[in-house]
Amino acid sequence: MNADLILLALIVGAANWAFRALPVLLLRRDLPPGGTLARFLAATGPAAIATLFTASVLPQLWPVPRDALPLAAGVAATVLAFLPGRSVVTATLAGAAAYGLAFALTA
Amino acid sequence: MAEQQPGQGFRAGLLAAVPIVLGYLPIAFSFGVAAGKAGLSLPEAGMLSLVIYAGASQFLALALVTGGAPLLVAAATLVAMNLRHLLYGPALMKQAGPGAGRRFAWAWAWGLTDEVFGQALGALARGQRFSEAYMFGLGLAAYAAWVLGTLAGAWAGGGALEAWPALDAALGFMLSALFLALLLSVLNRAALPVVAAAVLATVAGTLIWSGTAGILAGMLAGALVGLGRK
Repeated sequence: MNADLILLALIVGAANWAFRALPVLLLRRDLPPGGTLARFLAATGPAAIATLFTASVLPQLWPVPRDALPLAAGVAATVLAFLPGRSVVTATLAGAAAYGLAFALTA
Repeated sequence: MAEQQPGQGFRAGLLAAVPIVLGYLPIAFSFGVAAGKAGLSLPEAGMLSLVIYAGASQFLALALVTGGAPLLVAAATLVAMNLRHLLYGPALMKQAGPGAGRRFAWAWAWGLTDEVFGQALGALARGQRFSEAYMFGLGLAAYAAWVLGTLAGAWAGGGALEAWPALDAALGFMLSALFLALLLSVLNRAALPVVAAAVLATVAGTLIWSGTAGILAGMLAGALVGLGRK
């Protein structure tokens, strides 16, 4: 097994455990809503996810656009499936299914 | 452990996890397949799911590792991505109310993924009393589905879907769909400038320098815009 991969997994896994468990164990009071830490945490999550979504679709749009129709179908289906129940899992599966269907129809 | 009432124990947690399990299995399978395509062995793919247990991070880890990103850059990027989890525990305990059990939180809180958090918060919002046993059942079923789905995908292998190009394409889009769905789940009016800054900086960083630089630029720009807001 690749040693660098194990080290990477251990660092990220330890951080994930700390992020999930330590606030429950240590934080008995709410963070001040307008505080620097609260604002930083509130911004980092959306920033990271928006960045990663952009980075994941950018190679399909630049430098040479490809599979634009499946991409549009996948994005639209993800958004539309999310709206009724706000379920991340349902939206993910619907988006992937729409992408695959559009890919099959346009191939 | 907090006092339990019928329907709030370990078994109830397992049952409540069924929708999550049904969703996790195909996503984890696609991660296993992607790991195989990236050259990872079955134990390596399984280890990532067992140790990291965060879907989007794991897909990104594949991209960063195969793209040759330095270990510390990759680790910092993946850690930053999961900072949002810091808010889940306090939000859940606030909803659970004073006196909710925390004795075994060091174990059950490991399972506080986006979906498990959402399910648990929803149950509390519907009036269910908090119990650590319920959290164990909910988290364990989801965790098992994630690890087993990964192993199945890695066992099937990177070439398993060559005969089904549409299915291969659908699984390839799963990561983007997951990021988009997660983004929708955290999106509100206050987050819009943060998201806009992150998207613009990612595009600019990628076009001017590289994909890795674009990811770092996006996260940094979004976080700075968030810090600057009152």
